[in-house]
Amino acid sequence: MPKIKIDGEELEVELGTTILEAAKEVQVNIPTLCYLEELSVYGGCRLCVVEIEGEKNLKPACATEIAEGMEIKTHSEKVRRVRKNIFELIISSHNIGCELNCLDCSWNISCELKEIAELIEIDQSRLDSINERYDDDNSSHAVVRKMNKCIDCTRCVRKCEEIQGVGIFTKANRGPETLITTFKNKGMGNVECANCGQCIHACPTGALHESYHYNSVWHFLNDDSKFVVVQTAPSVRVALSEGFGEEPGTVATGQMVAALRRLGFDRVFDTNFSADLTIMEEGYELIGRIKEGGKLPMFTSCSPGWIKFIEHFYPEYLPHLSTCKSPQQMLGAVAKSYYAEQHGINVEDMIVVSVMPCTAKKFEASRLEMEDDVDFVLTTRELIRMIKESGLDMMNLAEEKADKMMGASSGAADIFGATGGVMEAALRTAYEVITEEELGKLDFKTLRGLAGIKEAEVEIGELTVKAAVAHGLGNAKELMERIEAGAEYHFVEVMACPGGCVGGGGQPVPTNQETVEKRLNSLYQIDAEKKLRKSHENPEIKAIYEEFLGEPGAKKSHDLLHTHYIPRSI
Amino acid sequence: MEELSFLEKLHNLQDTYGYIPEREISNLAEEADISRAKVFGVISFYSMFYTEPTGKYIVRICDSLSCYVNDSEDLVKAVQDYLEIEDGETSKDKKFSLEVVECLGHCGEGPVMMINNKTFTQLNEKKALNILKECK
Repeated sequence: MPKIKIDGEELEVELGTTILEAAKEVQVNIPTLCYLEELSVYGGCRLCVVEIEGEKNLKPACATEIAEGMEIKTHSEKVRRVRKNIFELIISSHNIGCELNCLDCSWNISCELKEIAELIEIDQSRLDSINERYDDDNSSHAVVRKMNKCIDCTRCVRKCEEIQGVGIFTKANRGPETLITTFKNKGMGNVECANCGQCIHACPTGALHESYHYNSVWHFLNDDSKFVVVQTAPSVRVALSEGFGEEPGTVATGQMVAALRRLGFDRVFDTNFSADLTIMEEGYELIGRIKEGGKLPMFTSCSPGWIKFIEHFYPEYLPHLSTCKSPQQMLGAVAKSYYAEQHGINVEDMIVVSVMPCTAKKFEASRLEMEDDVDFVLTTRELIRMIKESGLDMMNLAEEKADKMMGASSGAADIFGATGGVMEAALRTAYEVITEEELGKLDFKTLRGLAGIKEAEVEIGELTVKAAVAHGLGNAKELMERIEAGAEYHFVEVMACPGGCVGGGGQPVPTNQETVEKRLNSLYQIDAEKKLRKSHENPEIKAIYEEFLGEPGAKKSHDLLHTHYIPRSI
Repeated sequence: MEELSFLEKLHNLQDTYGYIPEREISNLAEEADISRAKVFGVISFYSMFYTEPTGKYIVRICDSLSCYVNDSEDLVKAVQDYLEIEDGETSKDKKFSLEVVECLGHCGEGPVMMINNKTFTQLNEKKALNILKECK
């Protein structure tokens, strides 16, 4: 193995190691900007330059491999000076002037530029910032692009292409006119964007953020003539606390419910309830398809990013999608029918708000097929903002429970937020419905974890159910290729975001493998600690079928809880 | 037959249609297994590829230094007034597109104008407008 020296420390590293990686082995973190571990190396920002003994030019540490005898200096006088100059140039293209103040930036609490400025001890910025006066891209229901903040680092481009396999962004033009844009500058709302929001997590500068709904929600919370109800997705409860300084994965279900009541919501429901409802509908749909020879494999339909992806890229597979609405839409639909009827609330006066780990849910709520179900969608980040604005010390609130009728849930619903969770939840119910026997072991361990694609065969009575699970659209694409090549499954679960909803585009910053794993483990922990762990045993689910819906898949369920899809071109 | 390079394919499309239509970009993207955004990125790098139809005649006038000192500014103004279009626009009758460009490679003979593939040098306003009038 080649021997090298980094800042005087001798070490041996394998050939092919980059200077950036080698430096970590001697506890040196070289500052980076366009580099992200999970993405390909771009080497464009040059912030990570280092000096190599005997070489005239500085080299980018992320894109330079070590060689025998290399002597590297990571913070020599020259490196420190050049690094600062480079950073000054970078921030001059990011409009940081008074017009685009840091104070109102979506990234004001998590700005990587600020972090780097601190890391490299920037002590002056001599260049006037360039304001290209680009228009904001407001074409999407889910994500807004503020191009005047973009520094062309291409992290969003690579994330969309390499992790999500979609590739709606490109670097266009040349020289100073270089611009990150979409196909023919059409805007995110007019191209094959899945709305997953993973680009937001890739962006270091706040050039990308969700389409905000929180101001509208504040407005209706202050309107006494409206009956404002809220629902919270499984993944929000294990991530919300991060906004208040807690460790990732800290569970704050009870505090969240209390905070929502204090914000003024008239009812606090749980999307977990409608996740259980989804399992009833989807489970029966699957059993029906298997018994009656329907289209197989059946694909889950909970992830609106996945839905838009398949509508664009695999429209011929739309009949494979479960016709079930997602839990968000189901809850909205039953709140405005079942709950409103039972409590004599005028549906016209009811506003349904949902809190989701997701940006695509904003698009989903606006889909013409079901635009009346949910009125506003907040991301986890938006709810954090609202709670902070209200001055509530959330983590010290006494825990409260969600409201009755649509507030109880099984552990099966909690794990909806984890990749493989919907599949596991469905199998728990399908097993007991088909065999009429109690399922001994509730944990389907083969369906858990962060492997890109998981496959399992599950014996249900005489039937062997072949299941496949993918998370992240790049993996979904690979799974679709397997299916096109002839792989046979009965049931396929796809979540658009890496890790499932816990890694959603609306989750707190940072959302990376470490935080995703911690949130994921917490969901399984919540499930394990619950007495009620199967959707069909949820008493509130039993009640809604007895009092209102009738049977799963029957006429009323079909009208309220199912939908259809639209083939879209690329 | 030898496989054409990506740029050759783009040139062929540009020559065939006078611009590169969306459906052809999608076809190219599918063939190369890359996103259509990426193909657009490549096209946008080169100023002589177009993604929208242009006029029958593309008029390019240089305003780099040596043309500029020979009054290219007035030339541009005169052509703009005559064609009633600004830099980057196409006339309503789709006959002319105007582009003010950097260096056409005839720095000793400025100001210079190019119409499609033909170059005209040592121009003044009168000469230039006469040339445009000849474009049928």
